[in-house]
Amino acid sequence: MSVAALDRTRPAEAPYAGRTPIPRIAFYAGLSLFALLWIAPVFILVFTSLKTAHDFSHGGTFSLPKQFEWANFTRAWDVGIRIYFMNSLVMTLVKVPVGVFIAALAAFALTFLRLPGERWIFTFFIVGLVVPIQMTLVPLTLLLRSVDLIDSLYGLFWLYLGFGLPFAILVMRGYMRSIPRELVDAALIDGCSWFSVFWRIVLPLSKPAVVSLLIFDGISTWNEFILAQIFLRQNTNRTLPLGLVNFQTEFSTAYELLAAAQLITIVPLVIVYLFFQRYFVDGLSGSLKS
Amino acid sequence: MSVTSPTAQGGRASLRPEWVVGAIFLAPAFLIYVTVIIYPMIHSAWLSLYEWDGISPTKRFVGFDNYVTLWTSNRVFWIALKNNALWTAVALVVPTAMGLGLALLLNGKLAARGFYRGLFYFPAILSLSICGLIWTWIYHPTLGFLNQFLGWIGLEGLQRAWLSEPSIALFAVMVAAAWHNTGLPMLLYLAGLQTIPREILEAAEVDGATKLQRFRYVIWPMLKDTTFVVLAITFINSLKVYDVVYVMTYGGPANQTQVLGTWMYFLTYNFNRIGLGTAIAVVLLGLTLIFAIPYTRRLGADK
Repeated sequence: MSVAALDRTRPAEAPYAGRTPIPRIAFYAGLSLFALLWIAPVFILVFTSLKTAHDFSHGGTFSLPKQFEWANFTRAWDVGIRIYFMNSLVMTLVKVPVGVFIAALAAFALTFLRLPGERWIFTFFIVGLVVPIQMTLVPLTLLLRSVDLIDSLYGLFWLYLGFGLPFAILVMRGYMRSIPRELVDAALIDGCSWFSVFWRIVLPLSKPAVVSLLIFDGISTWNEFILAQIFLRQNTNRTLPLGLVNFQTEFSTAYELLAAAQLITIVPLVIVYLFFQRYFVDGLSGSLKS
Repeated sequence: MSVTSPTAQGGRASLRPEWVVGAIFLAPAFLIYVTVIIYPMIHSAWLSLYEWDGISPTKRFVGFDNYVTLWTSNRVFWIALKNNALWTAVALVVPTAMGLGLALLLNGKLAARGFYRGLFYFPAILSLSICGLIWTWIYHPTLGFLNQFLGWIGLEGLQRAWLSEPSIALFAVMVAAAWHNTGLPMLLYLAGLQTIPREILEAAEVDGATKLQRFRYVIWPMLKDTTFVVLAITFINSLKVYDVVYVMTYGGPANQTQVLGTWMYFLTYNFNRIGLGTAIAVVLLGLTLIFAIPYTRRLGADK
């Protein structure tokens, strides 16, 4: 079951919008109103981020900005968001490809190599999907403390790799199973090493799964909060989600600044979402094929 | 030529047995996974049998005393447990039902269908912590959108300090979480709806089934698998909920919005009660297993 994306599906159910014009108009009006309400928090955020402090305190939350105060963004950037942004960016750009590569190696072994207890090894990895993160926090604190990686992005990198693996292995293995075994066997007969079978044949053929994982894992890494909050201390080490919460306490009344900071965090997600929506959704549903 | 064991027929790959190659491919993932998830799990369970402040060099073995303490004399544990139960119950119904409703709505012929789907899914790509921050702002007693809106339409009587009144704070947080959590069920149900053969629906329509009957007797039974996955994921995520509560209420007012996840954090990192904190984590794991066992079985089962 390869599942379709947001916008390229066939209608399986008869149209819900009525066939006569009046109900149909009412239907679209209702849907649009609900949609508007649904996305209102984002609009409020955008409006707030564009107001001057004066405009904000006089016009109320509701009103449109009188003039666009773009300076809120540069101010938020300069008073700290830049550091958080760069930490999150570097972490995401390094962690995600490394994590997907490691997961792909494991998934390859679990799919194409005849291993004793292969099913058990797979289940062993899948357990990580359901373990409450709280169950790992204290020992991880002790572990990182013992190797002096508390309050370090390197320590966090290691943890992010670990927590990303179960889902990545699930998705990669799910996809690799659709690759014909004959391709692998033929390459082996031609004298390819196992690694070159992986690198030159299976990995390129798994591109859809790899791309959706890169996006999905990228978004998760960008958004991660609990581990960052527990293991990062210094301001200069903070990632965006943690930095924003800190920002909230530090500038608790400068709402236009807070809104600008939050928007800066969201914008990369929106860009990725708009461009890769299809892959993202495919990957997510692909993991649930049964 | 029959290919039973290609490696036996030559090529460099034949130099090592297949399981050795497999072990090499699995090694990095295995090493990281064991240090980050498996070993800490076991260690946590072990630590829950001790009384320890996390700093002093000696721990005192107390058996199951930490669990007994939680059960008998930790008032906040019970608040947290009750809140988790409430949270889970609401989460299993509200975002799931909204996701299903939206999926049904957005599965038919519709102008700008992709746009609507993208829009309703959007909050799901934000982190729960940032959703929490956005909603904290909406709930602000004087400047927040909600109270201003109520004032604007003349319903001043309904204005509240949403996040500081004990009786409503948790529900206010749930709304923020539901905004974020509706996207996933919607997506999964949209995917599930694709697997229903159109002929079956057409046949039902020809036989004169109303829309409601078609849903009740055709669509809903055929979505059974999807519903199981949605409920399992929701259940597991509800138990470990942490960030949105931490960001919006910090467990307050007066611990009334503590959940197991936040209370575990406070006990461990603010009060240095390592034994009690890890005991809560074990309780969380135990509760998770109710759904986690059938769920992982399913994921592990091959067609």
